[in-house]
Amino acid sequence: MGGWDRVRSSRSRLSRDSTHLNRQPSVRLGRVQPQAPGHRTIYCNDREANAIIKFKENSISTTKYNVLTFLPKGLFEQFRRVANFYFLMISILSSTPISPVSPITNVAPLSIVLLISLVKEAFEDWKRFQNDLVINNTLVDVLHGQKWESIPWKKLQVGDLVRIKQDGFFPADILFLASTNADGVCYVETSNLDGETNLKIRKALEKTWDYLTPEKASEFRGELQCEQPNNSLYTFTGNLIIQKQTLPLTPNQLLLRGCSLRNTEYIVGAVVYTGHETKVMMNAMNVPSKRSTLERKLDKLILTLFATLLIMCLIGAIGSGIFINRKYYYLGLEGKVEDRQFDPSNRFVVIILTMFTLITLFSSIIPISLYVSIEGIKFFQSTQFINQDLNMYYAETNTPALARTSNLNEELGQVEYIFTDKTGTLTRNLMEFFKCSIGGEVYGTGITEIERGLAERSSIKLEEDRKSANAVHEKGFNFDDVRLMRGAWRNEPNPDICKEFFRCLAICHTVLPEGDESPEKITYQAASPDEAALVTAAKNFGFFFYRRTPTMIYVRESHVEKMGKIQDVPYEILNVLEFNSTRKRQSVVCQYSDGRIVLFCKGADSVIYERLAEGNDDLKKVTREHLEQFGSSGLRTLCLAYRNLSANVYETWNEKFIQAKSSLQDREKKLDEVSELIEKDLILIGATAIEDKLQEGVPACIETLSKAGIKIWVLTGDKMETAINIAYACNLLNNNMKQFIISSDTDNIREVEDRGDPVEIARFINDAVRARLKKCLEEAQLYLHTISRPKLALVIDGKCLMYALDPSLRGMLLNLSLNCNSVVCCRVSPLQKAQVTSLVKKGAKKITLSIGDGANDVSMIQAAHVGVGISGLEGMQAVLASDFAIAQFRFLTDLLLVHGRWSYIRISKVVTYFFYKNLTFTLTQFWFTFQAGFSGQRFYDDWFQACYNVLFTSLPVLMLGLFDKDVSESLSKKYPQLYMEGLKNVYFRWKIVSIWAFFSLYQSLILYYFVTTSGSSPQSSSGKMFGLWDISTMAFTCVVTTVNLRLLLSCNNITRWHHFSVWGSILAWFLFIFLYSGFMTKYDRQENVFWAIYVLMSTPYFYITIILVPIVALAGDFLYQGVQRWFFPYDYQIIQEIHRHEPDDNRSARLLQIENHLTPADARSYAIAQLPQERSKHTGFAFDSPGYESFFAAQVGVFAPQKAWDVARRASAMRPRIRKPQKS
Amino acid sequence: MNSNATTTSLGTGSAESSAPRRNSKRPKYSRFTQQELPACKPILTPRWVITAFLLVSVIFIPIGVASLLASRKVVEIVDRYDAECVNATTKSERVKYIQGPGDKTCNRTLRVPKHMKAPVHIYYQLDNFYQNHRRYVKSRSDEQLRDNHSASEVSSCKPEDTANGNPIVPCGLIAWSLFNDTYSFAINNRNLTVNKKGISWKSDRDHKFGKDVYPKNFQNGTLIGGAHLNSSMSLHEQEDLIVWMRTAALPTFRKFYGKIEEDLQANDVIHVTLKNYYNTYSFNGKKMLVLSTTSWLGGKNNFLGIAYLSVGGLCFFLAMLFSLIYLVKPRRLGDPSYLSWNRNPGGH
Repeated sequence: MGGWDRVRSSRSRLSRDSTHLNRQPSVRLGRVQPQAPGHRTIYCNDREANAIIKFKENSISTTKYNVLTFLPKGLFEQFRRVANFYFLMISILSSTPISPVSPITNVAPLSIVLLISLVKEAFEDWKRFQNDLVINNTLVDVLHGQKWESIPWKKLQVGDLVRIKQDGFFPADILFLASTNADGVCYVETSNLDGETNLKIRKALEKTWDYLTPEKASEFRGELQCEQPNNSLYTFTGNLIIQKQTLPLTPNQLLLRGCSLRNTEYIVGAVVYTGHETKVMMNAMNVPSKRSTLERKLDKLILTLFATLLIMCLIGAIGSGIFINRKYYYLGLEGKVEDRQFDPSNRFVVIILTMFTLITLFSSIIPISLYVSIEGIKFFQSTQFINQDLNMYYAETNTPALARTSNLNEELGQVEYIFTDKTGTLTRNLMEFFKCSIGGEVYGTGITEIERGLAERSSIKLEEDRKSANAVHEKGFNFDDVRLMRGAWRNEPNPDICKEFFRCLAICHTVLPEGDESPEKITYQAASPDEAALVTAAKNFGFFFYRRTPTMIYVRESHVEKMGKIQDVPYEILNVLEFNSTRKRQSVVCQYSDGRIVLFCKGADSVIYERLAEGNDDLKKVTREHLEQFGSSGLRTLCLAYRNLSANVYETWNEKFIQAKSSLQDREKKLDEVSELIEKDLILIGATAIEDKLQEGVPACIETLSKAGIKIWVLTGDKMETAINIAYACNLLNNNMKQFIISSDTDNIREVEDRGDPVEIARFINDAVRARLKKCLEEAQLYLHTISRPKLALVIDGKCLMYALDPSLRGMLLNLSLNCNSVVCCRVSPLQKAQVTSLVKKGAKKITLSIGDGANDVSMIQAAHVGVGISGLEGMQAVLASDFAIAQFRFLTDLLLVHGRWSYIRISKVVTYFFYKNLTFTLTQFWFTFQAGFSGQRFYDDWFQACYNVLFTSLPVLMLGLFDKDVSESLSKKYPQLYMEGLKNVYFRWKIVSIWAFFSLYQSLILYYFVTTSGSSPQSSSGKMFGLWDISTMAFTCVVTTVNLRLLLSCNNITRWHHFSVWGSILAWFLFIFLYSGFMTKYDRQENVFWAIYVLMSTPYFYITIILVPIVALAGDFLYQGVQRWFFPYDYQIIQEIHRHEPDDNRSARLLQIENHLTPADARSYAIAQLPQERSKHTGFAFDSPGYESFFAAQVGVFAPQKAWDVARRASAMRPRIRKPQKS
Repeated sequence: MNSNATTTSLGTGSAESSAPRRNSKRPKYSRFTQQELPACKPILTPRWVITAFLLVSVIFIPIGVASLLASRKVVEIVDRYDAECVNATTKSERVKYIQGPGDKTCNRTLRVPKHMKAPVHIYYQLDNFYQNHRRYVKSRSDEQLRDNHSASEVSSCKPEDTANGNPIVPCGLIAWSLFNDTYSFAINNRNLTVNKKGISWKSDRDHKFGKDVYPKNFQNGTLIGGAHLNSSMSLHEQEDLIVWMRTAALPTFRKFYGKIEEDLQANDVIHVTLKNYYNTYSFNGKKMLVLSTTSWLGGKNNFLGIAYLSVGGLCFFLAMLFSLIYLVKPRRLGDPSYLSWNRNPGGH
């Protein structure tokens, strides 16, 4: 079933949840087809009845062309390109008599270019056709009479009853009737549609459950009424009428083509939509292709060339008008001249006609093979270099990098702004209990990514301890300290506090245990991974929370009474004071079995410290220090505290609580107020530190990228604390930075919001944001003028952003943010992500890159110049929308600094070289025009000119585009600053182009005048003279040699392919001319050059000139390059010099390193004693995750709408869990 | 039972991941795809620049000297005669003279400056004559010249394609405007034989001009452009025509006229009797008679020698200049202080 891979890899994109669509009106994610009126009626299992309606057949065709349309349509596509059209025009012009050249000069290269393009198109279409064929001929079981018969998919018709076996793909959109599973459900994998690998459940209508066996199924007669085919994947409405009963149908009964059946032996269904009418096919759409900035600049260059061409032609044409004169009687201009182009009596016509003549003559100034060459080079770059790079292969998920388009390779070399999502992109969305502070003692020996980075920067050797033998590492728990494990905490100085600590972890939460009640098999369902991590930690410390009832929590406690003793302890949960973002804490009041009432509280340090009981300042101070230490290590912290409650205190409070809970108005507010009453006089236990596990190498990658001059913006749906915390963890923020925080979470704003007048809110926030922006901007500009120039950072939340993106404030926002080294936008919606991206893209006119992994990043990915998706995880939407897909964030280093940079340099060089070689060639022709009476006489033979671009100079430049490498891969990464050359567009700016143009001029003068001047006297002892064609053959030989050798001069490294192609091209010219001038046929005008090369080579002139001219021509370039390198070296040249004695990249070491990736690298296998830490005020509180509130709402059966920043993927992942309590 | 759905899905998930990876997508290693092809990485260090320039000068100066010597050895006599051979001062008078009837004999005397070794090549040189003009270049019929049976292939020969309704052989402007001045030479009243054989390239003679093609209807039109051809000689033998029809690249060109197969002594006085028929007066073209010996490198042409010498000299000068700079103000290779981010800290 490899055929289905195409659905993923082909340029089809699936629209997403339609509700999602509505929320972001300006970002189009798929075309929504107009609904056909009415509905369709299908008679199940009755082919005759359906035959009348003539539904579409089930065979699909994704080919662009067929045998008949290929040529016209393919050619049309080709001529839509300006360059091809130009050459078509030139070719037509050159078949008219005014042309000095035979049509072959222009037709031959054009045909070759077209041929290559068409062959490529045909090949791609052929592959598509083969794919279709495979799919169309896949077999499926269809009910025929009373038994299943295998027929190919294409023969399937609407209304047929089909049987699909386990792991089979659905051949069409199918109405689910019956399954082998007991309760009429089946499991469906939809990864081909939306990339989600988690299984979806579909449930058949109860009435149809029995139609499973062929005998039974053949009795099935039903009338199905449903909507006309449409492209909405998540909606379906219809009615099934069986036995005179009308049953409503929902998407739950529809199995979509492209999905596959899992965990179900087989299912039976009725075909509803077929072929191109299936939802997946109606969703297939072409990606709007992005063009790279360099290519757009290339268009300008081509236009400049065209202007040059016109100027040259104009000069020549005016010259011809002046030149032509009856006095040149040998031109036969007496009397009436039959050729109007040479008629001296009407010079105006002469000028006009000569203009056209010269356009055809100089047409070679526009490099015809440029586009096709660039396309070829980019194709190789993306399929062979990027896709095959072992450095970007991620073994854990078995994902190599994937360039989904080859248009943007060089764009990667000029990216200045990166917009990144947080969850799943920077982080793994995996929370792990990492460290804790209990009673003033830090436990946990791991070191975080950021500490390691810090250590490496200050070049401190990390001690590479092995982990202690009993270290446990499971999902959510990555903690190693022998002092706490296996009951060892009993020997610690304060075992009682430890006990409270663990109890707090085990009790104070809203986690649901699931599965077997054993520590190994249990899974915790938590709204946020933080909570799950904390409970898992408690489990590992010997406080195993295994059961929850509405009122009780059961904990299996070990080692409490004495070592080794295990007992099940029930705790009665009296109240749960829930977490929300204003409270920043969560409390549970529980009663021990001995009647003791305790309130456990966990929350942000700021809120907990406010509510601590007096005294015990030492512990508070130490713990705060620990919190800061955790915070600066990028860990997410929570403070734990408890309070013993006496029964009557509790009772009085509980009454108020119940009152508040049952109030109908402002319930939340009242609950908050009541909670305040009891959450006080807390006793601090300690703090936890959870690692929001960054993806491997993220801080290092970000540091490298920012050294490369790339500015990284984090756009996340998370709340501000989380975002700031991650920004710290990733080195995007640090304490030396001046931070501007624009937040809507201020008292003023909250106050206005409470009043609830939307107009007033809007006005107020708008004013507040404006004032804040203005202040920040002023401050920022002030900082810019100070000597120390601290780095600036901007943190802004979604609500403020909404106002800041308003056209009136946009300019200020842009101005401010461009001055900042890092920008963090939190609580932003997908639409805002796209808006911010295009703000920078359009406002700053810099090249932007967006990277993300989820559906909420799609809009941002499409809005940026370059979109990168994180692949290999669940959720393919981002990848499907992206231009490049990589498995890990850190591969951006390779993608940008290595591939992007090389591609940019290569393509720039290729383009400028093309420009140079065609200009040089055409200019020699131009100089000849001056000495040929401006008649438009061609200097070179038609075939020379025809083959110049496609035969004699095409291959070496391809090698340049594929192999040129200024510094090695490792050096590119070691000196990220080299990337700035791309940001400044060092290799493709007008200065470079004019330098090339200057040397092109110089060379063409040398080539033309040296050859003609020296060739105008007898050149051998025989005293015979050369003619025009001998001289031109000589000149052409020199041009080919010079131009090919010039390529070697501009190469940074010369492989044998360079030698092969350069010398091969020169050789090809000689072979060509030996053959071409050796024969004489009637059919063309080659008499001209007959034997010319042999005549030339019989004279010493040939050898003397072939040495002299190319060397003199290249001496200018050589001198320039020498002086440039000597006095104004580029950075890469210095790097080359520094490392000139080093051997190439050590392959074996690199391979070894890659092998290491194969074994799951245990990132936490190293220990560190104590790193010198900067003390900061940042304590790292960050706790909650999107969807938290709605999750709890679902728990209690209330529907709370998902927040805009909720990821669709997560919502779907949560579905089965939410179902559970509803059922029970 | 309730959690059935979740556990099954989880179960399959882990079963799938634990299954052996049959098709790893790990890219295969190859030097090409990993871009590690062995390559030499030339760095244009000052030393290289100096060496290259020195090398060029070392090679070029001897070649330059050799070709200059060869060129200087050539003895060349150039005599411009277009003005002296006409007794008129204005252009229109000259044109009238050259187009009118009458004897156009003109006598010139040339002094041999140095010993001239046989063979002495005779050239005529025309100036301001655009043999490379597009209208002129294409006005010929190669089929006709090559093949007896293609006499009527004159479509490309306009306006000199037919005369009196018959095709002209050889047709076209080039043949029509064939040069027709003639020279004869005498020393001390002894006539020198002018050998007109072997003045054209063999390839032209053998392949382009047919042995069975004879001039027909040539110069029979109202206007006479130039020389007449001996209609009893095949084109293959008409070497003047063959030479003329190998059109020149530039508007100033020399054509081979013939050879004097004996040495000329220094201070010999050569009497040239020339027939000044050819009209260059209408377009102010010059006409010159050239007598020249050849060296191994051909005729007298200092260009190559001077070019070689000056390029060699320039390269030597540059090499010296660079060496001087290198000694006075050397740049240490790979000096990190040259890196842009080290020059102005804080980026851009």
